[in-house]
Amino acid sequence: MAEINIDRVWKYYGKTVAVRDLTLNCADGEFLSVLGPSGCGKSSTLRMLAGLEHITAGEIRFAGKRVNDLPPKDRDIAMVFENYALYPHRTVYNNIANALRLRRMPQAEIDKRVRRAAEMLEIGHLLDRRPHELSGGQKQRVAIGRAIVREPQLFLFDEPIAHLDAKLRAHMRGELKHLQRTLGTSMIYVTHDQLEALSMADKIAVMHNGVLQQYGTPADIYNHPVNEWVAGFVGEPPMNFVDCELAGAGGDICVTHPSFSVPVTPEQRARLSDTTAGPVRLGIRPDDVTVAMERGPETPIEAKVFITEPIGGDMLVDTQLADGRRLLVRTKPGFSGRAGDTCWLGFNTSRWHLFSSADGRAYF
Amino acid sequence: MASREIVQYRSPLRTAYGIFAVVFLAAYLIWSLLPLFIMFVSSIKDLLEAFQLPAVGDWGNAIPTFFNFTPTFAHYENLFVRENFGVYLQNSLIAAAGSAAISVVLGAMTAYGLSRLEFRFKKDLFFWIISTRMAPVVAVIVPLWAIFRGLDLVGTLPGLIIAYTTFNLPFAIWILKGFFDNVPYAIEEAAMCDGCTRLQALREILPLVAPGVGAFLVLCILFAWNDYLFASIIGSGGAKTLPAATRGLVQPQNIQWGSIMAAGVVTTVPMMFLGLLIRRYLVAGLTMGAVRE
Ligand SMILES: Nc1ncnc2c1ncn2[C@@H]1O[C@H](COP(=O)(O)OP(=O)(O)OP(=O)(O)O)[C@@H](O)[C@H]1O
Ligand SMILES: [Mg+2]
Repeated sequence: MAEINIDRVWKYYGKTVAVRDLTLNCADGEFLSVLGPSGCGKSSTLRMLAGLEHITAGEIRFAGKRVNDLPPKDRDIAMVFENYALYPHRTVYNNIANALRLRRMPQAEIDKRVRRAAEMLEIGHLLDRRPHELSGGQKQRVAIGRAIVREPQLFLFDEPIAHLDAKLRAHMRGELKHLQRTLGTSMIYVTHDQLEALSMADKIAVMHNGVLQQYGTPADIYNHPVNEWVAGFVGEPPMNFVDCELAGAGGDICVTHPSFSVPVTPEQRARLSDTTAGPVRLGIRPDDVTVAMERGPETPIEAKVFITEPIGGDMLVDTQLADGRRLLVRTKPGFSGRAGDTCWLGFNTSRWHLFSSADGRAYF
Repeated sequence: MASREIVQYRSPLRTAYGIFAVVFLAAYLIWSLLPLFIMFVSSIKDLLEAFQLPAVGDWGNAIPTFFNFTPTFAHYENLFVRENFGVYLQNSLIAAAGSAAISVVLGAMTAYGLSRLEFRFKKDLFFWIISTRMAPVVAVIVPLWAIFRGLDLVGTLPGLIIAYTTFNLPFAIWILKGFFDNVPYAIEEAAMCDGCTRLQALREILPLVAPGVGAFLVLCILFAWNDYLFASIIGSGGAKTLPAATRGLVQPQNIQWGSIMAAGVVTTVPMMFLGLLIRRYLVAGLTMGAVRE
């Protein structure tokens, strides 16, 4: 168990920059998720932590000790590879047991651990097979098994459940989180799935183009994104963005658009300080918009129903504002509107966000 | 992963092709086995009997004529008692196994390095290695002989082993690099994360390249075993191998056909056994590099 510091780390592949000036900490026993789209440098970061990739500049410390020049075996890490990297010539059992054998653990203990892991991963019936006889999802679970039978000081998981079906993925999210909590081992978990990050992690680091965008708790990231990019990446369905103008009107500051003009709350006004006019981007999650078929004090904004998508317990209503701009709303399945109907929208202004049109920075 | 099964659909063309394949293979089998068979039979025939050939057109009597003999091991006796073939056999074995072992060990290490490391001029180095094989042996044999004589290596087994290694090694590097390239580096990375050192990680993947390395080992042995040119020039004198010794049976006054046939058998049989022994790996090895999975 150890605290992990990534200190101003850069990674270049030739002339390509994969990671730019990354500073991150993972406290002892913490579950840190590195979240970002494909190609943002997540795997590169993880591989530098594992010792598989040269660190171009900066320093990585485990428990205060610089590890830049330590080979993987001396870092006491267990890694799950994005591409599984199973031993093709070994059975599933031996794939999982290999690391334990290398540590000369007694056979009985190895057997116990392998079987326990296999049971948790639901691959108990596959132990005698070789990797080429497994499906992608099964291989991925073997790869997880190989890591979790060990008791390292740090787990490094690179998209470990990306290839499982939805149900199994939900199950594995719970299992992995439980495992990490029980063992109390620090975990750095790379994923491009924001749901995984939000549901499992203690802290999330959102990356984009090799640059750390935001580092904080899942609630922080979800409720207070620091910029438009993070706001748009985190949350499903994604946040709506509408180009608006900021205008002062009778002591209030209003967010205006051809379809509406809504004042900001007093706290939000304080955050705007010097910016009182000009173009801004309004960001609002589908959950924070109300839709009704009747105009009311809560729903004063006119729009048209573009399409409705029932998704089980909820209904997504894609609406169209007067200027053609679309706005997604999440509501109850009882919503009766049909495509083309006029509907009325209201914003939960305490939960909306304003971003600078110039650089995407969040005002609130 | 897709299975290795090839789906076949029934059609008249397929059936015709199937028949053709069987006929072709049968013809090919006869074509390749008949000389070996004649060689073997002639080696246990008396010289006179060996030349009792059926007349052209007289096919009815061909088989009885061919098999009308009393087996004799006189030729083998001649080889091993009077002609010293025991020593030549031993020379052949040492030269072939020695050069093959050295080529494969050095070749595998070089190939591994070339496969895994990136460095400047790597492509040029790689090309240079294989380019050493572009000149045919006959073109370089004279200067090579001069060098070997200068080093006092002519007519010695070490000389022969070095000569074969010189020619097997570039080829070994080239082929074995292909085998290592086919093993994803990620497997070694996983091994290192499991707690292996760099070298232990390499050992982890050895089983994956073993069939290829084994197959190539056999090819190296075959090259050295069947070689005549080096054997007759570099090995002449103290390190005669079977092919060179067989050539010695052709004397101006007396071509010892029976003994030549027996020498042919003695030369062929060990390689056939080797082939049978490693057949499984040979096939796996030679096809392994063909498909990327
Ligand atoms: N070996 C390499 N050589 C050159 N460029 C590389 C190499 N590995 C990664 N890159 C580049 O570095 C950047 C970051 O790659 P990385 O693998 O870290 O992305 P990632 O966030 O893990 O993406 P994904 O979610 O698709 O796995 C990418 O632009 C990629 O093209
Ligand atoms: Mg990746």
